[in-house]
Amino acid sequence: MIWFILIVKVLIVFQIALGLASVCVWVERKGSALIQDRIGANRAGAFFYTDNIFLKPVFIVVRLLGVLGVINTLLCDAVKALFKEDFVPKGTSNFIHSLAPFMGVFPVFLAFSLIPFAPDFVIAGITIRPQVASLNAGVLFIFAMASMAVYGATIAGWCGNNKFSLLGGLRSAAQMISYELALGISLVAMVVLYGTLDLYDMVVAQTKLVGGFLPAWGVFTQPVAFIIFFVAGMAETKRAPFDLPESESELVAGYFTEYSGMKFLLFWLGEFAEIALLAALMVLMFFGGWDIPYVTLPATWVGALIGHLVFMGKITFFCVLQIVIRWTLPRFRYDQLMHLGWKILLPLSMANLIVTAVLKLAF
Amino acid sequence: MTELLWYITAALAIGSGLGVVMLRMPLYSALSLVLHLFTMAAMFAFLDAHFLATTQIIVYAGAIMVLVIFVIMLLSLEGTEKRPSIFLIGIAGAAAFGLLYMMAPAIRRTFPMTGGSLQGDVGTIGKSLYTDYIFSFEIASLLIMVAIVGAVVLAKRIKKNAT
Repeated sequence: MIWFILIVKVLIVFQIALGLASVCVWVERKGSALIQDRIGANRAGAFFYTDNIFLKPVFIVVRLLGVLGVINTLLCDAVKALFKEDFVPKGTSNFIHSLAPFMGVFPVFLAFSLIPFAPDFVIAGITIRPQVASLNAGVLFIFAMASMAVYGATIAGWCGNNKFSLLGGLRSAAQMISYELALGISLVAMVVLYGTLDLYDMVVAQTKLVGGFLPAWGVFTQPVAFIIFFVAGMAETKRAPFDLPESESELVAGYFTEYSGMKFLLFWLGEFAEIALLAALMVLMFFGGWDIPYVTLPATWVGALIGHLVFMGKITFFCVLQIVIRWTLPRFRYDQLMHLGWKILLPLSMANLIVTAVLKLAF
Repeated sequence: MTELLWYITAALAIGSGLGVVMLRMPLYSALSLVLHLFTMAAMFAFLDAHFLATTQIIVYAGAIMVLVIFVIMLLSLEGTEKRPSIFLIGIAGAAAFGLLYMMAPAIRRTFPMTGGSLQGDVGTIGKSLYTDYIFSFEIASLLIMVAIVGAVVLAKRIKKNAT
């Protein structure tokens, strides 16, 4: 029974991660079109027609999806990538070349196993926690997985066997190491505040009220940590304004220059899974997870479902927010990037940690 | 089930450990060292020492090895090392095997394979670090501090000479 529940949980969480990543892909394609005053993908599947009366409703749905660009961005692009030639540059190892995309994607999906997706609920007398693994190292494990994700980009850059790729890989390694520090220390401040490493307990700690009216969400109690976490997290996902590792104007495409077909798509998938992971972490630590202020959810499956929907809604909001930022802001210069990471975010996060610890001791 | 997973992890650990010394490309050696450190973390996890496992990954696999790979990539080291003669390899292998064979019973007695006999959760480790081992802990952090300052000083001096 335990194994059955575990397998179901793994499947569900994997589906949630994949689903969020593909929704992000669609929002990125259509949203960028909206922001740039284009129409975007709207043709593939839009003209499907049948005379068969029973198939008509299906085809109406297909046409709708086609006009919205879902078929184009999710189905057609995946099929195209699958049938593309898989090119491996000369003078590099085929094995390592194939390994790199997996090293970029695998830790991100592994980190999802620590995310609780709904409140506890009781079904058939068994209390189920919708979280694959509840380690007592909790949020540190996610941090460890984030630090493993550096390898994907770095090794990919090395496998390109040219200077542009190598520069992209080195840039990504340097950037991720630099911003990991600020990210980790802002996280430590949250750990000090909540007194726990477990993400589930963090959400429970946020369901209270501060001063009788303000929900005790992390963003209200720790606004500085939230800003640092958001900025450093955006830098970890390597997207604009932090997309120095793949800056098209200087490095062709950076670390994945020599990648084509499905391997390239895997890098993309990893990137969007990282966006979803970052959104999930922000919601869990700073926006109360599945908490609705002033409302207590019942501990049944109905309550869990409502909580889950609220949680997913918040995650979607932060995914869209990150994509809007990516299409709004221009890229940093490299020295500005290092300046921001080491001279602004790191001291700020340390000061925040000290202030938090002192206040925690005082009250 | 857990035992089976343990044996798989142990095999991976030995294989990747051999890879570190036997592969000829420096990058491949570094990558197999990453895998080795990862399997070590998995062994900690089998002992229910989740915190140790995570710190193992964060500190060694996530930070130190990234820097090592960084350096290998920057210097673009190629596999130029010549292999020593078969005779020397044979002697060293036999010696190592003999030593391990003598140590094996002691290792089997003292180290548990699975189960929570090692108290490895965050609270226990934190408390013992800040009470029983506070002196060694602080000395270690002082040493690291000195090393960091030394590295900065060395790097600055090189820059002055160059310009």
